[in-house]
Amino acid sequence: MKGLDKLLSELELQQLQKQTRRHFLMDCVSKMGGLALFPLLNACQPDSGKHSLNLSERDLNPLASLAPPFIPKVKSVIYLHMAGAPSQLELFDYKPELVKYNNQPCPESMLEGRKFAFIRGVPNLLGPVAKFQQHGQSGAWVSDFLPHFSKIVDEVAFLKAVHTDQFNHGPAQLFMHTGSPRLGRPSLGSWVTYGLGTENQNLPGFVVLTSGGKTPDAGKSVWGSGFLPSVYQGVQCRSKGDPVLYLNDPEGINRSLKGKIINAINQVNKEEFAAVGDPEILARINQYEMAYRMQLDVPEIMNINDEPDYIHELYGTLPGEEAFANNCLLARKLVEKGVRFVQLYDWGWDSHGTEKDTALDLGFRNKCREIDRPMSALILDLKQRGLLEDTLVVWGGEFGRTPMQENREGKTMGFKGRDHHVDAFTMWMAGGGIKKGTSFGKTDDLGFSGIEGRVSVHDIHATILHLLGFDHEKFTYDFQGRPFRLTDVEGEIIKEILV
Amino acid sequence: MKNILFILSSILLIVLIIFFSRKEETVGFSTDVKPILNKHCISCHGGVKKNGGFSLLFENEAFAVNDSGFPAIIKGNPNQSELIKRVLEHDPELRMPYNRPALTQDEIDILKKWIKQGAKWGEHWAYVPVQEAKIPQTVKGFEKQIGESEVHILDKFVFQNLMSQGLKPSHEADHMQLLRRLSLDITGLPPSKDLVDKWKADQINYEHLVDHLLDSPTYGEKWASWWLDLARYADTKGYERDQSRTIWPYRDWVIKAFNQDMPFDQFTMEQLAGDLLPNPTHDQFIATAFHRNTMNNDEGGTEDEEFRVAAVLDRVNTTYEVWQSTTMACVQCHSHPYDPFVHEDFFRSMAFFNNSRDEDTTDEEPKIRLYETDDELKLHQIRSWLQENAVSEQTKAYMEFLTFQEPKYHAHLATDFINGELIDTKWLGLWPKGSAYLKNVYTGGADRMLLNYWSSYDGTKMTIRKGGPQGDVLSEFTIDRTGAITRSIPFKPIFEKVDLYIHAENPGLAAQQSTAAISWFAFISEIPGDQSDAHQKVKDSFHDLLNNRPLTVPIMIENPSFMQRQTHVFERGNWMLHGEEVQAITPESLNPWKEEWPQNRMGFGLWLTDKDNPLTARTAVNRIWDQLFGSGLVSTLEDMGTQSDPPVQKELLDYLAWELMHTHQWSLKALIKEIVLSHTYRQASSISPQQMAMDPENRWLARGPRFRLGAETIRDQALFVAGLLSDKMYGKSVMPPQPDGIWQTVYSGEYWKESEGEDRFRRGIYTYLKRTSPYPSFISFDAGSREVCQGKRIVTNTPLQALVTLNDPVFFEAAVALGKKMLDVNPTDPGKAIAEVYEQMLFQKLSLEKQKALVRLYEEALDEFDYEKSPLLPSDLPLAQRKSWGAYTVVGNALLNLDEFLTKP
Repeated sequence: MKGLDKLLSELELQQLQKQTRRHFLMDCVSKMGGLALFPLLNACQPDSGKHSLNLSERDLNPLASLAPPFIPKVKSVIYLHMAGAPSQLELFDYKPELVKYNNQPCPESMLEGRKFAFIRGVPNLLGPVAKFQQHGQSGAWVSDFLPHFSKIVDEVAFLKAVHTDQFNHGPAQLFMHTGSPRLGRPSLGSWVTYGLGTENQNLPGFVVLTSGGKTPDAGKSVWGSGFLPSVYQGVQCRSKGDPVLYLNDPEGINRSLKGKIINAINQVNKEEFAAVGDPEILARINQYEMAYRMQLDVPEIMNINDEPDYIHELYGTLPGEEAFANNCLLARKLVEKGVRFVQLYDWGWDSHGTEKDTALDLGFRNKCREIDRPMSALILDLKQRGLLEDTLVVWGGEFGRTPMQENREGKTMGFKGRDHHVDAFTMWMAGGGIKKGTSFGKTDDLGFSGIEGRVSVHDIHATILHLLGFDHEKFTYDFQGRPFRLTDVEGEIIKEILV
Repeated sequence: MKNILFILSSILLIVLIIFFSRKEETVGFSTDVKPILNKHCISCHGGVKKNGGFSLLFENEAFAVNDSGFPAIIKGNPNQSELIKRVLEHDPELRMPYNRPALTQDEIDILKKWIKQGAKWGEHWAYVPVQEAKIPQTVKGFEKQIGESEVHILDKFVFQNLMSQGLKPSHEADHMQLLRRLSLDITGLPPSKDLVDKWKADQINYEHLVDHLLDSPTYGEKWASWWLDLARYADTKGYERDQSRTIWPYRDWVIKAFNQDMPFDQFTMEQLAGDLLPNPTHDQFIATAFHRNTMNNDEGGTEDEEFRVAAVLDRVNTTYEVWQSTTMACVQCHSHPYDPFVHEDFFRSMAFFNNSRDEDTTDEEPKIRLYETDDELKLHQIRSWLQENAVSEQTKAYMEFLTFQEPKYHAHLATDFINGELIDTKWLGLWPKGSAYLKNVYTGGADRMLLNYWSSYDGTKMTIRKGGPQGDVLSEFTIDRTGAITRSIPFKPIFEKVDLYIHAENPGLAAQQSTAAISWFAFISEIPGDQSDAHQKVKDSFHDLLNNRPLTVPIMIENPSFMQRQTHVFERGNWMLHGEEVQAITPESLNPWKEEWPQNRMGFGLWLTDKDNPLTARTAVNRIWDQLFGSGLVSTLEDMGTQSDPPVQKELLDYLAWELMHTHQWSLKALIKEIVLSHTYRQASSISPQQMAMDPENRWLARGPRFRLGAETIRDQALFVAGLLSDKMYGKSVMPPQPDGIWQTVYSGEYWKESEGEDRFRRGIYTYLKRTSPYPSFISFDAGSREVCQGKRIVTNTPLQALVTLNDPVFFEAAVALGKKMLDVNPTDPGKAIAEVYEQMLFQKLSLEKQKALVRLYEEALDEFDYEKSPLLPSDLPLAQRKSWGAYTVVGNALLNLDEFLTKP
């Protein structure tokens, strides 16, 4: 094992040495013989030979860390997605007029030319089910469904008039995470991992954590790599079972023996490289080393039991369960260790009011309790560790909810619920480069449409990429004969919420 | 010194030759000019933007008068041409490309020369029909190099290129390595023991070996994997609910088509238009499931029409991608930025695909009903009765209705609800005193209505009237509590198109309670006959067949004339913004449309497989080459247009494309055989430093292909060498063990039910593929989720792959089996046992150094492997044997992870 460690550290050293130019040269493949690889690689100084292997760091390791083209404001992103789409009207977008018109028929002018997923005919308006108050220095309106969060509003920038054009969950989630409502495009996290690699080679670069008992409606494509190589797709880490699939050794094999197995494999592979000279074998040797370290580091980082009590208290964790609170704590641990993109999905926010679980005053309120403390704790914890200035935290759903009470297919509903709404909803961001305690965008008196500061999904993507040091118009990948972008041909950076 | 002089004079000579030859040369449009225009000009003067009214995409546009009132290019006169003036301009406001770096002097010279020589427009090579290639001379000396007296034609193309690059072909690969390579390439599995013995003993020559492998049923299983990626085949519908669909008979059809070596033109036609062929067979219907592999959205609140359109768009894109390596998706929103396709082309092609019956309904109708045994007898009985008692048209209508239950009107077409709803945006649910309309319905004068529905309540009185609440009563009936049923109900014959007013009343139900859930309506006349017992029996059989549940597969069926849809251009690609109406016609820039072709999918198939189509054969050859060599002759498999990588082996591509169409008559087996017989394929794959330096990506083919095996092959091979792989073919997809908790789909009660017995060890192609959650180890090895057409799996190399082959229980089970093999060879001499099993797996001798490393591992594992903990080792063996087996298992685990095992040699 030692020899290989050394080999790899030599390789890493070499990579450092040639940071100014990505290619390294070596003319020693012919001298390889049956000897060990590392001294020879070491002997191959970048300029000593005439034959160029043309190996980039990415050939040996497709996740090698790269610097972004511009000076970034943040190193990592934690994206909290509430799958199902929470109601902005019960959380952040306070509409006193809506209280007044509660239970009144919706003005028909608002419905003209509109399509809804389930609302038919003329529904009634529904006043906010929660009570609102202003909080903090910034005076942000937050409802009593989020008592913890209301204490940290001064860290946050709200976007009150986000809009999308997809009113079904699957397509809207795809749009929010891949920039296209149809399948086949890489997710935001994949783009970031492709662009930046990963800082910590013992952990995946793009980690996905889910809670709420289900994966998002659009399936694993929301963290898929689309047309990018599959190595850039999100790796789902799980709180139950193996934290990463196939991470546990087969029964009977311990760590020490696993090290020896990998050592033997790599010894044989080195022999093979000497015989056939295929650089892909060097990459494989590297990957087996990483797999070994990953087996060690991932369970350690996925284990929250060693965290002090006050941290558990802060987040309200539920050890041993698949919980949003645990995932928030894990997200902090992961960015602390150099993971670039942590994507959380919490399922169960589709509050139509068809039953208790989807009623705004019952199921929805419980969901709020589940996220309130953990997401606030995440901000506080990142802050107290000095990580918040290097991290961007994004919160949102795939669309918003209607100011009208849902009347599914024209029926009166047993519970208070709202239909899907694309015209206006709230998201928030916090962390590096974000103007604290701001609110951008405004909706009309009933919270139906954005009337100021409307921002699109592409704008959100442009802003996130900007904070990571990318120009979203120049960050492209060639496929099918043309350069593709996350933001397609749109997207404006939302300067109003940036420092 | 002498040397230096020689070198210097040589260089001078070369420079002079280049200088003079260039002066003489005519500038080629496709090779010299078009790349410059594409690089610098076309993003503002092309398909998407036409700044200044000037575009360089099409010939007529390039020479047309633009906004300035003059043309930008004056043939024969570069100095008068605005295009040249602008690239030479000093004023940054006027100099082109605007706000971008200027053209180089070389580039400007080429443009000038081109205009001077008459500015001849040329077509890109990919859009010119394939011509018979001129076969190059054999390169002298290379016969000796490869040790063969006769050089294959294919090799002549390759060798000519090698020579121009100063490269030489490699020698032939090791005898046994060649066998392993060939077997993995053709069958996706290592060779059988029998074949190994024969080959070793020279009892079979190479050509017979190739034939033997191509004739194995495993050939179809291997190559079907490739095609199923293109066909986006999966076992679920995709999108949010992602529920199961039964479409595996299509997968079996593909395997059989490969094994029968169905010619590629027929293979194409049956998949695109099998339903439109004369008297289509069941297999031809099943082939059309190719385009029913599109996703189907069952999410509540989704509009079926939106996702029907999405499926049709996908069919257009997929067809062009699969057969033409052309990205039509661009043209969906605007004219193609680089390739000669206009915006309307997309919708003209879409018009071919826009008239199939499927409408994104949750039942995925239409589906072919594959009757068996008793049902089949009933079908015969009905057919014979009709042949005697009905006119042939009527017989046809009945047989078609029994085969795929079309035409029918789906509930989602209902409108103008009063006291009613479209339940979960799928089924018609009328509440008490509820009504809705089904508009523009053609019943063809039928005297029966077939209604598919279910209901939880008795006693709903249904009335169907003509035109509205006051209209003639067409049908009156009662709906009682029932599971899903198709019921035949008397209906008053009408012969014109009509709006049906549907009314339900059930005073026993509360308001807003749905009386029933209706899926569809169909209209057909009663089976004619004499009211005898025999007649009644036939009518009963008809009823039985409507309601029995045979195996069904989604297929393509064309709309009857009264259901035809018009196709419109979608403004900016938005399906709700209809532009002008268009007719079905193929793009002008490709091969011409022939009058005699029908203007439907079948005509489209004839157009695609016409030998003048410039892209079909090239695309097929390129994809097959990619399968064998890891990279296409044009490396951008998804795009053969003007933005593709310039093909370094274009002549070879054209030669093989011509061969495929003319010599091999579209036989893929013959094409594959021709390729694998070549020396180019048989070369050793080891990389010399010189090759690495001059051609790291092996574009010039001076060595054989060496790349990591595909996802399915990696698993199949491990199971094969362990003796665990089942050779059972076909049938329902299987669910081999996978970790718990992988499936967590919303709104679905479906779960991964682990298969039993040999189904745990079937070939990867039979593994159940759920789109939102595919089999995890395949995903790690770059297989896709098959939601959209995948032209190429980009091969990656990641630690997660190592975790699969090291720790996935399936691979460990294979390691235990390998351990047993080693134990059986020799329990006490690990050097011998390991060497023998290694050779069985890799068909080469284990080198001393490798053996040392593996024997050391064996010895370490004797101490460290905890055999007590391993449930796979039998506990009743003597201790020494258990320990030894355990240690061999660990060695087996390592063997399954060797680069040489995971890689094609």
